[in-house]
Amino acid sequence: MGLTDLTSMAKPNLESREKILRKLGGRELVNCFQCIKCTSGCTALKLLELKPHEIIKLVNTGFVDELASSDIIWTCVTCLKCLQRCPQRASPYHVIMALRNLAVEREAKVPEGYLKAVSRILEIGLAEGVQDVVTRKMEILNRESLKLPKITYPKESFQAAFMKAMEER
Amino acid sequence: MPKIGIYVCHCGLNIAGVVDVKRVVEYAKGLPDVAVARNYTYMCSEPGQRMIQDDIKVHNLERVVIATCSPRMHEETFRRAVAEAGLNPYLLEIVNLREHVSWAHSDEPERATEKAIDLVRMGVARAMLLEPLEKTRVSVERNVLVVGGGIAGMQASLDLADAGLRVYLVEKAQSIGGRMAQLDKTFPTLDCSACILTPKMVDVAKHPNITLLTNSEVTAVKGFVGNYEVSILKKPRYVDEKACVGCELCTKVCPVKVPDEFNEGLSQTRAISIYSPYAVPKVATISPKHCLRLRFNKDVCGKCVEACEAKAIKFDQQPETIQIKVGGVVLAVGSEVFDASRMAELGYGRYKNVVSNIEFERIVNASGPTGGKILCPSNKQVPKNVVFVQCVGSRDKRFHEYCCRVGCMATLKQAILTREHLGKDVNVYVCFNDMRAFGKGYDEFYRRARDLDINFVAGLPSDIRCDAKGGLHFDVYDKGTNKLLELRPDLIVLANGLVPNSDLGKIGELFHVSRSADGFLLEAHPKLRPLESAVGGIFLAGACQGPKDIPDAVAQASGAAAKVVDLLAGGEIELEPLKAVVDKDMCSGCRICESICPFIAIEMKTEKADGEEKLRAEVVEAMCQGCGLCVAACPTSAIKMRHYTDEQVLAQVQAACAGGEAKGGGC
Repeated sequence: MGLTDLTSMAKPNLESREKILRKLGGRELVNCFQCIKCTSGCTALKLLELKPHEIIKLVNTGFVDELASSDIIWTCVTCLKCLQRCPQRASPYHVIMALRNLAVEREAKVPEGYLKAVSRILEIGLAEGVQDVVTRKMEILNRESLKLPKITYPKESFQAAFMKAMEER
Repeated sequence: MPKIGIYVCHCGLNIAGVVDVKRVVEYAKGLPDVAVARNYTYMCSEPGQRMIQDDIKVHNLERVVIATCSPRMHEETFRRAVAEAGLNPYLLEIVNLREHVSWAHSDEPERATEKAIDLVRMGVARAMLLEPLEKTRVSVERNVLVVGGGIAGMQASLDLADAGLRVYLVEKAQSIGGRMAQLDKTFPTLDCSACILTPKMVDVAKHPNITLLTNSEVTAVKGFVGNYEVSILKKPRYVDEKACVGCELCTKVCPVKVPDEFNEGLSQTRAISIYSPYAVPKVATISPKHCLRLRFNKDVCGKCVEACEAKAIKFDQQPETIQIKVGGVVLAVGSEVFDASRMAELGYGRYKNVVSNIEFERIVNASGPTGGKILCPSNKQVPKNVVFVQCVGSRDKRFHEYCCRVGCMATLKQAILTREHLGKDVNVYVCFNDMRAFGKGYDEFYRRARDLDINFVAGLPSDIRCDAKGGLHFDVYDKGTNKLLELRPDLIVLANGLVPNSDLGKIGELFHVSRSADGFLLEAHPKLRPLESAVGGIFLAGACQGPKDIPDAVAQASGAAAKVVDLLAGGEIELEPLKAVVDKDMCSGCRICESICPFIAIEMKTEKADGEEKLRAEVVEAMCQGCGLCVAACPTSAIKMRHYTDEQVLAQVQAACAGGEAKGGGC
């Protein structure tokens, strides 16, 4: 659902707000004075309508539940420009990541692309497998035809490390 | 034992809202030698003070303990009050129940009250051992040093000189005038900056009570309030100041081109030049960094010597050190403009058409590099789209967290000037975060800018980019319309903030003046003593104390001048008796105190004792600031601090511990 539809009739929920602030380790990363620098430079603004300043303001006001169940938090491409250029050292990036974690905890709908990436990581140890490329002249190229060294997938070592981490938890 | 009176102040609800003042008073009544203990809403008020004075007379009180706000706030007030009632003012002890108790522990009223009780008991223990002290008087020099010849320094100098004091005005640059001389117009009235500044500059130069020392720097400061000895280094101009008539014939023939500092490097001048068109003194100066003869050898070039009809060129001029004695100092060294190249995303320094606000002042000024025409620096074309970007380097935790206080208004002025110079066909945008138009007539000025069809965009750009053809472009999201604007300006002006002078660290060290967290010079109290530094006799004026616009700088300068007059007019000043004293019999002459005293207040003297010569430390009372470093460092405990003796402090410590036992807890 779009953010406007979700927040238009909603009421702020201060408990969820506390939860997200705990995840962020305090108020430091949401201490925003709305200069809009992040949104002016946001890579995901033009096509995907992500407005980092709005996300931070909504978190501060207490619309965390709505954000966690919206699609918009999944549009961030993690270019980190907002974090780097913020004059108040706030970080829309960290806020969005915390919201994503909250969404996963609550088993909200996660976009398919992310789920695919996760299953690929479990399968082969990389977020993206080696792919063949088709050029404009319809040639099919791969690493072998380009005489590039073969890539091995860190499947086993990754899976072992992953299982170990799971056991520790 | 002396009779003690104890007064617990409510400070409205500031103290009484947390601390149970009645319980504190009841406790105080039970302390030994306490003749009277009372509480009152505002001890500092007239009835509060009278209550103490009456008690001193009725009960013959010999010590007074007041549990109230910080001694930095009202100790002086209460000292005066007890003195009026005939008690020595140093027999007063202040216990801080506001800053140290109620404000610090507002969430724990029960324990706060216990702490208040402990502090009152400690105060009484110290009060019993207080000794009467007398203030000393010293005579003062009726001369004043003003450092910095910007608008603040000039205003202070003129006020002081008019009041009949002798003023030495030291300016680092070759001319007085400072930043204001570089400005074209001033906000919010659009007065021509030079028109209101140059008459003042001439007044300074002509005033019989002002000695103007340009191209000079303070190199050493000794002494104390009322009696400072200052060394000033007058750097050579290589031109005879008295002979030069300012005809600029030398500049015309000089072959060495150098960037013009006055025009922010946007144009070039020559190695021998006059600082600005309205320089005071209007005397040429040779830059030793650039002049061929000064750099290489005696025989090359010399064209200026041939051209000068007044025979004013003196290549053999030497630096000169001037010693003066002054009673007070006004520091008015100003500020610098933020270097926007540090903020890489805005492209300043990489793209020619991104200029700073101070550069724009020169561009728009008739004596500037373009003769007052607004042209893009890259191609000298008239811009069609001009964008101003606010808050560069200020309100930014990466650089300076404070608001620069002049950026918004300077931008409004420059946007209006752009509209006036280039007419209605040019598009003027201002990208701002918050528009701060707080001063007299400032918001009206903001309205005037909107009337002139200047587009205000509520949002800052993230970065400024440049395409292959040199065209600037950037995106900015506007809060007002919720739309992303894609701008392609020809000229971008950055509202660079004011930052502390790069020399400020050195100046602070010279005069022992501290700096606040933002890097500017620190005033003695942000509200009640904003014109003074913490060092006696040293006052602050203008942007060296914090970013300021012209009206504020002038107001502060006049205020600081009045403070100096107040200090020196009587010819004599009182010194606080809170000084270190050396017990000569205990002193071993080890010189540790001399080495650590930050105020150079310890003098070592040889004395004859028991037939042999011995080195002994002595405190120069007038210079001692009572910091206590020497007391702590003295290995033989020969130095004692008046009003804070070991016995007094230890009595407080014992009283603190005694309370712990009584309650069965640790101290």
